[in-house]
Amino acid sequence: MNGNTTTPLLSFRGLKKSFSGKTVVDGISFDLYPGQVVGLVGENGAGKSTTKNMLCGLLEPTGGQILVDGHVVERNEGHAHGISAVHQELSLFGSLTVAENMCIGSMPGSRLRIDWREMERIVREQLDFLGMDIDPHATVNSLGAGMQQIVEIGKALLHADKVLILDEPTTSLTAVEREKLFLILDKLRDRGIAIVFISHFLEEIYRVCDSYIVLRDGQQVASGQLADVTQRQLEALMVGRSFENSPDTIRPVTGSCEALRVENLGSADFRDISFAVQRGEIVGIAGLMGAGRTEVAEAIFGLRPATGDVHVHGKVVPERSVAGMKRLGVCYLPEDRRVNGLFLNRAVRENLSVAAISRFIRRGLFKLGFSGERQATQAVVDSAGIAIPHINVRVDALSGGNQQKVLLSRWMATEPEVLVLDEPTKGVDIGAKFDIHTRIRELAEHGAAVVVVSSDLPELLQLSHRILVMRKGRLVGEFSREEFDSVRIISLAASVDDKVA
Amino acid sequence: MIKALSDSVRSYPVAPVLVALFVGFSLFSPYFLTTGNIEAMLTANSVVLIASIGMTLVFLMGGIDLSISTVISASAVIAGLVMAASGSVLLGALAAMLVGLCFGLLNGLLIGVLGLTPFITTMATQLIARGVAFVLSKGIAVQGTPYSMMDFGFLSIAGVPAVTWAGLLVVALCLLALTQTDWGRHVMLIGSNRNAARYAGINVRLTEVSVYAVSGVLGGIAGFISIATLGNAIPGVGDTLLLIIIGAVVLGGTTMEGGEGSIARTVLGVGLLSVLISGLNLIGIAFYDQLIIQGLLIFFGTWLSMKLSTRRH
Repeated sequence: MNGNTTTPLLSFRGLKKSFSGKTVVDGISFDLYPGQVVGLVGENGAGKSTTKNMLCGLLEPTGGQILVDGHVVERNEGHAHGISAVHQELSLFGSLTVAENMCIGSMPGSRLRIDWREMERIVREQLDFLGMDIDPHATVNSLGAGMQQIVEIGKALLHADKVLILDEPTTSLTAVEREKLFLILDKLRDRGIAIVFISHFLEEIYRVCDSYIVLRDGQQVASGQLADVTQRQLEALMVGRSFENSPDTIRPVTGSCEALRVENLGSADFRDISFAVQRGEIVGIAGLMGAGRTEVAEAIFGLRPATGDVHVHGKVVPERSVAGMKRLGVCYLPEDRRVNGLFLNRAVRENLSVAAISRFIRRGLFKLGFSGERQATQAVVDSAGIAIPHINVRVDALSGGNQQKVLLSRWMATEPEVLVLDEPTKGVDIGAKFDIHTRIRELAEHGAAVVVVSSDLPELLQLSHRILVMRKGRLVGEFSREEFDSVRIISLAASVDDKVA
Repeated sequence: MIKALSDSVRSYPVAPVLVALFVGFSLFSPYFLTTGNIEAMLTANSVVLIASIGMTLVFLMGGIDLSISTVISASAVIAGLVMAASGSVLLGALAAMLVGLCFGLLNGLLIGVLGLTPFITTMATQLIARGVAFVLSKGIAVQGTPYSMMDFGFLSIAGVPAVTWAGLLVVALCLLALTQTDWGRHVMLIGSNRNAARYAGINVRLTEVSVYAVSGVLGGIAGFISIATLGNAIPGVGDTLLLIIIGAVVLGGTTMEGGEGSIARTVLGVGLLSVLISGLNLIGIAFYDQLIIQGLLIFFGTWLSMKLSTRRH
């Protein structure tokens, strides 16, 4: 598949990039052949984005050589050299049509008049090439996240069709959409396009790629064929430490003492949701995006109106609210930490102490002041292993993993007995994910009841005692640990007869 | 030492500009650095100072209170009428605060509980308050201000006008509330991210209502103080103040997005605008030319605080 006899489309030799004296990428070398799919992996901050931006010509390297079709080039012209990228944040205009979006960089026609027919022809051809049945006249807003991602790929390939770079393309996709995307990537590879695939999910790397490059702290620490390396080895390479102690078995729940019970919860988004969680138990909730999992979690905390009852430690909660549940020792870690979790332009200190301020401070005269907050939050930062320069740094300066640890620590400080965690490791690197999993396990071992909502099925399989499956606002299945079977769970979550909808 | 200095310049970007203007005007005009002029400057700006503190609290929470200017007028007029009828300064002060509280609660309930947009809601309140001021006063200055009220306007304690002391008291109380209480912390956090505040269990509605109420009360106090500085309750007193108030807050470096800024910055912003206006008057720049300069200065101040706050991380 590598076609070693042909010249590589793109080669990097000892590529280096420094920003104001600080080297962030040092010595990246690889060749990209037609039809090759290479996985670029590394933790947050390893230099993936910088490398990606040098690959597509957005950043100029401060050292090293770039070869296009075997010839050294002065600078990487990106599109002119046939290289295009789909960045993590989609760059589509929601209110414009698919066709307009795909052609936005160079509209067919003259300067004064757009040739709409030509545009439609170009776009239809491109969508046919991708094998996608998308209406060019549909507005992008009317499409799901998966379709939008494909429109973005089509748009990128219109500009340049030798090398395609995909940066975390699956983070907002459902399992079904992800499979569709992978099929398209297979097709592109068969047509001789070289693909650089950046992802946190190693399962995806193994599904899509044939070779890999591992970055750590800006250095290229390993590269080669994926067939020669196991996922565990790859993880160890990325993080520089090994996860051999990550347990595949979990301590079973001893005794039974119900901590949380949800009875007949219903609203516009879900119906007849009933389940219970024991002390010391971790219950996973699996399902596709839009299955209503987050909505249920929010309803438990009164963040959304819903009918039905929630019982905590055997007593019904009269009026549900975040503050009220907090008093009962129940906490909710929201799904989107940037939108619903963190106070981005405020200090880590304030972000940590907000949910349990009285545990962090001593009130002075007339109950004023926040004395002791600095030391108390610093202690939390140290014990949770959050990497920050100082306690008053703004939380938006932190990596995703550290941000998530701040959010988790905020709620840990309330000493909760019941936790509902919504996508607790979304968008965090492997090291942080490992730390967060360890923490969740410890909590359960100390008697907390934990509900984990996650789209990352391997995570649920590893972490949970029990998995509930939701589909279209209903609980459709329950698996105990002995019955865990990823294929059955996925097919239940995305049941075939629902696909038409 | 140098680092500490540069840190404080970053937190208070207008401080060096204020110092420069102050020194500059002192050199250019022999009248600028005189007791009389400084006292006049302090007296004239106490109303703006108090109202700007109210606006700062609302800005920090991510809102805006356009009504504060005419709430000053309405509460001044009603306080004037109460004082004329009763002869009691104390009753007048209570009436002014009560009027401010009512308008503030109206804003707070509409915005915090019903979820209306702050801009439109407070714009409507602004109209209502202006109407109230003119209807009740029949469009002319309220007569019959008690002499003790006028004496208060001229009173000076330790070389500083009493009305300025009143302003400083407001500053101190609000500073305490904002930086030393949970309420103040919640105001900042709601301004930073309203959703996150809700998900963290902060009572967002109550805090919002209370901040608009406080802003209203501060408008009321400013209205009352305006009677002392002007000698009468004037129905149009607040009409031209809105942009000066917003200008002072923004110039000080408190952003309209919320969660970033401070009361100290606003005090500096008010100081800068008052030094500028007084200085330009003394060196003989005409009123309308001054407006152009003020506008340019606000551009500059906004740019400066943006520059400095982005460089921090």
